Amino acid sequence: MALVEIKNLEAAVGGKPILKGIDLTINPGEVHAIMGPNGSGKSTLSSVLAGRETYTVTGGSVLFDGKDLLDLSPEERACEGLFMAFQYPVEIPGVTTSYFLKAAVNAIRKHHGQDELDAMDFLKMVKEKMALLEMDKTFLNRSVNEGFSGGEKKRNEIFQMAVLNPKFAILDETDSGLDIDALKIVANGVNALRSPERAILVVTHYQRLLDYIVPDFVHVLCDGRIVKSGGKELALELEKRGYAWLETAAA
Amino acid sequence: MTATTISPDNTAILSALGPTYGLPWLQQRRSDAMELFERIGLPPVTHEDWRLTNTAQIAKINFSVPGSGTPLTPEQLAGLCLKKLGAQQMVFVDGKFSPELSSPGGKVEILTLRQGMEKHGDRVQRFLGREMPGQSNGFSAMNLAAFEDGAFIYLPPDQGDMGLVHLLWINASHDQPVVVHPRNLVIIGSNNQITLVQTYAGFSSQPTLCNAVTEMVVGKGAKVELIKLQRESDTAFHIANEAIHVHEHADVQSLCVNTGGHLVRNNMTVHLAEPFAQATLNGLTLAAGDQHIDNHTMLDHARENCPSHELYKHLLGGRASAVFRGTILVRPDAQKTDSKQTSKTILLSDAAVMNSQPQLEIYADDVKCTHGSTTGPLDDEQLFYLRSRGVAAADAGALLTYAFARDVLLRIWHTGMREYLEEFVAAELHRLHLDQAES
Ligand SMILES: Nc1ncnc2c1ncn2[C@@H]1O[C@H](COP(=O)(O)OP(=O)(O)OP(=O)(O)O)[C@@H](O)[C@H]1O
Ligand SMILES: [Mg+2]
Repeated sequence: MALVEIKNLEAAVGGKPILKGIDLTINPGEVHAIMGPNGSGKSTLSSVLAGRETYTVTGGSVLFDGKDLLDLSPEERACEGLFMAFQYPVEIPGVTTSYFLKAAVNAIRKHHGQDELDAMDFLKMVKEKMALLEMDKTFLNRSVNEGFSGGEKKRNEIFQMAVLNPKFAILDETDSGLDIDALKIVANGVNALRSPERAILVVTHYQRLLDYIVPDFVHVLCDGRIVKSGGKELALELEKRGYAWLETAAA
Repeated sequence: MTATTISPDNTAILSALGPTYGLPWLQQRRSDAMELFERIGLPPVTHEDWRLTNTAQIAKINFSVPGSGTPLTPEQLAGLCLKKLGAQQMVFVDGKFSPELSSPGGKVEILTLRQGMEKHGDRVQRFLGREMPGQSNGFSAMNLAAFEDGAFIYLPPDQGDMGLVHLLWINASHDQPVVVHPRNLVIIGSNNQITLVQTYAGFSSQPTLCNAVTEMVVGKGAKVELIKLQRESDTAFHIANEAIHVHEHADVQSLCVNTGGHLVRNNMTVHLAEPFAQATLNGLTLAAGDQHIDNHTMLDHARENCPSHELYKHLLGGRASAVFRGTILVRPDAQKTDSKQTSKTILLSDAAVMNSQPQLEIYADDVKCTHGSTTGPLDDEQLFYLRSRGVAAADAGALLTYAFARDVLLRIWHTGMREYLEEFVAAELHRLHLDQAES
């Protein structure tokens, strides 16, 4: 059974149609990449899947692990195993990263009828993931994303992903703002999560990330539609040719 | 301002005035204050300072001096007591000093105002009514005319760190409306350090009026932290007039936490009277239902090189309303004043109302004064971020409001008090969110 099955998904913001019929099927174990020009709707697709209420779904359906995803609240989606790494992670002054992560981990555990993780086990698990992403120790006691550099914020997203262990992760331009070393660390973190049960959707503008996180499929989003799909070589072609040849095809 | 005539209803409060007592000088001041009050009455809404806080509802109630109310239970007391933090504690029940409940012993000599008049008569005569004279407003006049007792603290110079002192004012439960007029006088000699906490609590389901005055002098080089926790019952009227005179190189930090009361007004006046005096005024208000909480601050910069900071935060649910009016007065001699005022509010419901007004009066030219104010609902982006990680909407809201409030509490110098208030505020927020969920 497909892990994610998006059918003819349409979404609008403030009455303006953005997604104009997306079809996409993602099976467990697969990595899909979505590329496309600025404003084509990549973040909108990510946000709609994560349950952001600013976007109104105007048509279509999404099945996630057999469940009607669009029927679930954002927190239920997260508890069911969906994770989105934000393109622009928000700062939350006054809430420490460790407090926040504990709340998230325990909310998800509760959803699955598990007991809260005790403080020792939590810390042990979190420290492992911090090591994986080579994060500074002081990080846990800092407020979520507050005063972080752009790259640190992105790394924090992948760190959270590693801690929450989702079935399906959407990475919205996680590579933008990362230097080469950080990019490798982040890609490592992502690859560590790759497994036959999980799937990943990578939104990116650059082939570079896909050298590290090698996708099974590449899709091109233009003006709210997937106008072309292919294997990883499509990304290379896009790098050479840009999007113009596809945009005209879309119009 | 035009003189206001006393409304016939005000006689109710006048007739409730406590007994007059004391030395001739005090009797004179009291009768002057009484006369003044009879003339001006309670401040009317036409008064610029009272535009947003209507005292007419107070005047309509027939308050009396409390007889003995329902005795306090050990649980009620335990929740208010700060003995576990090693505080020297003075407890007043219905305005009367309770020796049984108090444990005033310790490094600091804390007396009742009555005892102070016997032991330090000259000092009390000199300072009582100096910082907060009866003329300030109808409430301060009424307090001077009618106060029964309060705390008197005199700390001679150069004692070092004097720890924690707690003044606890409790209104017991009564079957009729009662009024008390607490009056505290605190004189901190130079180079001392002290944390002074005032708690005002109440258990009555009848209206109560607490009309408090606290006057304080902070000597040269002293470092004083003032914490006020107003957690009266939701039928309470709480009016507090507080004034602090700060000498050279002294550093005063105050935090005013309001969670209780039906109608609350705190007037806080700080005179930065000498060079290099510093003041930080923080506030945290949590209100729901139809609570109205009004904080007026006045930072009077009289001399040069005095920094002042203000951060007042408000979390308002239900139909609650709050006012923050911060006046910064920079007198001609107050060059190099550095003053920053911030007011921040989260509205948890559409019906909650915040009114925030900075008031800068600057008469010196080489000064830095900034002010800012924000009011709005919880941040959608932050809420969504938390929810997208699995945290339920209600919990995400609670987490954000707690972070908002905690930001003020983290500034508390006294570690024990910081932890105590973090716990208290967390519990109060829980109540606030439950309120929201029900309405
Ligand atoms: N909240 C919003 N309000 C109004 N318009 C929006 C909103 N969010 C997105 N849009 C519009 O929807 C379109 C798609 O935006 P989206 O962010 O999904 O693009 P994107 O493909 O992620 O672009 P980029 O590559 O620049 O990140 C754009 O025209 C954008 O202006
Ligand atoms: Mg985007």
